[in-house]
Amino acid sequence: MARTPRTPSAAPGGEARPRRSRRALRTGAAALVAPALLVAGCTGGGDDEGGEAGGSSTLDVLVVKHPLTKGMDEMAWVKTLEEEAGVTLNWEEVSADWDQKKSTMLAAGDVPDLVIGTNVITDSDLATYGSLFVDLSEHMDALPNVQAMFEEVDGAEQTATQTDGSVYALPRWKQAWPQAITRQYINQQWLDALGLEMPTTFDELYDVLLAFKTEDANGNGDPDDEIPLDWAPVATTGWGYFQPSALLGGTGLPISGGGGTGYFVEDGTVGNWLADERWKEVLLFLERANAAGLVSTNVMTQDYSAYQSVGRGSGDDATVGMSWGWTSSDRFGAQLAPQYASMAPVLSEPGVEPTWSWDFENLTPNHILLSAQSDAIDAGLRVIDAFYDEDLSVQTLFGDEGEYVTKTGEGAYEVLPPADGTSDPSTWKWTNSLADASPGWIREETQLVLPTDLAEAVEQSAPLEPALANVDPDEDVWPPYIKMSAADLSTLSLNNTTLLNLTQNAFAQFVTNGGVEAGWDDYVASLEAAGLQQNIDLYQQYYDASEG
Amino acid sequence: MALTLGETAEKVPVPPVAGGRRRRPPGAVVSDHLRSRWQLWLMLAPAIALTVVFAYVPMYGLQLAFREFDFAQGLTGGDWVGLAYFRQFFASPLFWDLLRNTVAISLTTLVVGFVAPIALALVVNQVVGRRRKRFLQTATYLPHFISIVVVVGMLQVFLNPATGVLPRSLGLLGVEGGNLLGSTSAFVPVYVISEVWQHCGWNSIIYLAALASVDPQLYEAARVDGASRAQTVRHIDLPALVPTMIVLLILNMGGVLNAGFEKVFLLQNPLNLPVSEVISTYAYKIGILSSQFSYATAIGLFNTLINFVFLVVTNQVAKRVSNTSLW
Repeated sequence: MARTPRTPSAAPGGEARPRRSRRALRTGAAALVAPALLVAGCTGGGDDEGGEAGGSSTLDVLVVKHPLTKGMDEMAWVKTLEEEAGVTLNWEEVSADWDQKKSTMLAAGDVPDLVIGTNVITDSDLATYGSLFVDLSEHMDALPNVQAMFEEVDGAEQTATQTDGSVYALPRWKQAWPQAITRQYINQQWLDALGLEMPTTFDELYDVLLAFKTEDANGNGDPDDEIPLDWAPVATTGWGYFQPSALLGGTGLPISGGGGTGYFVEDGTVGNWLADERWKEVLLFLERANAAGLVSTNVMTQDYSAYQSVGRGSGDDATVGMSWGWTSSDRFGAQLAPQYASMAPVLSEPGVEPTWSWDFENLTPNHILLSAQSDAIDAGLRVIDAFYDEDLSVQTLFGDEGEYVTKTGEGAYEVLPPADGTSDPSTWKWTNSLADASPGWIREETQLVLPTDLAEAVEQSAPLEPALANVDPDEDVWPPYIKMSAADLSTLSLNNTTLLNLTQNAFAQFVTNGGVEAGWDDYVASLEAAGLQQNIDLYQQYYDASEG
Repeated sequence: MALTLGETAEKVPVPPVAGGRRRRPPGAVVSDHLRSRWQLWLMLAPAIALTVVFAYVPMYGLQLAFREFDFAQGLTGGDWVGLAYFRQFFASPLFWDLLRNTVAISLTTLVVGFVAPIALALVVNQVVGRRRKRFLQTATYLPHFISIVVVVGMLQVFLNPATGVLPRSLGLLGVEGGNLLGSTSAFVPVYVISEVWQHCGWNSIIYLAALASVDPQLYEAARVDGASRAQTVRHIDLPALVPTMIVLLILNMGGVLNAGFEKVFLLQNPLNLPVSEVISTYAYKIGILSSQFSYATAIGLFNTLINFVFLVVTNQVAKRVSNTSLW
């Protein structure tokens, strides 16, 4: 960094003094300059623009992709895209630490022509840095595919539109994914072996699980190695998929996204199920089950990998009786999967109209953005529109045509099984293409022969269909596209952090140590004191505004 | 430790300067100093530059704790709100829990983690035979290089109530251990013991170095006088370690509220939440997960201030009591 000073020469006495002081000055200056250089090193770089000016259409594209995904230049569909749009694409591929890179990139205002990825620039980024991007709502004429998607897909346009009416980022939509991420499984082979019926209510379920526990359900001679009920680790920061919040479906309470921070909408009214009587019913059931030893002893403290490996049992002997997962082969392994059956929600009491978590896997926000500084806006618009083409949407999701997907007719495609024989279909998809990170629109009418894991998920969703039919997406689901002001978000999240600290621990304590009946009122009072009502009121206000 | 500026000045011979030094203006003293010792400053320059750039310059961001953060206005552009975020933190229903948990975890770690390496160093020092000594030393400091995630993974495996080694062996002895990962009373011991296991060997290296510098004549003299092993340790080894101990203690006190974030967060689960929510995990949840940057900065600043006060107080006490101190 600092220049190496020349070794002091044996200078004649008279001159020594001024020269030394000059050198000292130089050193001092170097010491002062050094931090300045460091600062420059931190903030500088990337000032020289890579994009060509004028009509020549070379576009710089930043893509945030999965670490498994192969290089963009190895994907054949990229060539098709370039030909279709008449451009040359220059890729910058990011698969780690995007958040850090993003904030510096945005703060420096130095954005490549196109930015691609799942929620790659979030709504809160756009609230600040929206002006860095092209407002696509003014260019809809140049984007026929996108316009068609906005017309045909419910919620697509609302998802893309910011509070001020501008559209900086486009969502993706893919049909064929099941509405729910969580499916409920029970070991059918155990039921058959013990001569039991598929349980439909909490009481029946309790009896079934008790039989799993007390008898040698898996028939390996050890009556004590069965775990009747197991669920995915519940985070201290909120609720998600494959957790006992799924049991709420049997009480008729509509949740979405696995539960989140507890807020839900029912017939247009916002509430928080963590303080709802129906959650108390679930807790009472879990307390009773746990007291009888029906719940995995490690359920509150295991990590996700332990949860997964326990589910896979050993060899042909299953260990877990009932659990939740994406598909039975993902949850229990290919060997044990045939033993398990997916099941409908278990009712808290006979006659309840069941519901199921309403998830948003089909419509995901903010997949592609166009820089406002780009020299080739028109070329950029052509690329965006090409991404929403039917053929390309299939290929960006599953891989190149011919190698990973076969086109079997007009608008009909078959996704080929993994060629290496060892990968599962979703790993295969992430390896060979941008998969879910890419923008795109898999149309409702596209005929797709799905890869086995998706087909399995769709098939095993069947028992949930009646419950999902009870959920009215307009009245019973919090619309994910509602955007809130920073001040309100701040209030909400402050309260939620405190609330979750109380609710997550209360859940664990109630289930493992009991006391739901005695402790419930105090618990709800503590939530009220922590600002629950204030949050519910705020959410209600936004909900009413968006519906009205 | 490193020589301070004053000490350097005493040790490096100052070239005689014409005229009375006392009467010269301070500027001249500085330029004299630079003239005669610029090489030292040059060597220090990169370190000074790094410290300035990465420790002092970012401090301007601290004003975020007193401003309402506004994306559009940047770090320093938000409205001035004074101590509002601090008041918000003190008024939070979680404040006293957070403080209690943080102090419990870090103070226990500090005390146990301070004593254990000293004991280990004294023991290793007593082992006869170079190879055995080396083996013991290497074996004890190797765990230091295991990443925190892996350590927590190991704890998850070993303490699993159904299949873990520890609960199972306790079960064989007829002791019902319960779920050590979920118990509120076991959280601090599990945290501290694994922490000590991991870092004890590494931290003892500095003590071993101090012990290696003890004059062998002292041991010989003690042996001639008929001192037992315990007496040698008590009267030669321990006193030799005291200055190192005090410096390390002062430095550790500077981190009294720094219960490490990663390990606490990884060990956290809904069951042990009442004792495992500490200031750093709360700041993470509120600051990063919920984007409350100003609030998180205020919490961080509060944390640092407490640490600073502890550091200064310990240093002053050490200065009075044992005449050893950082400054």
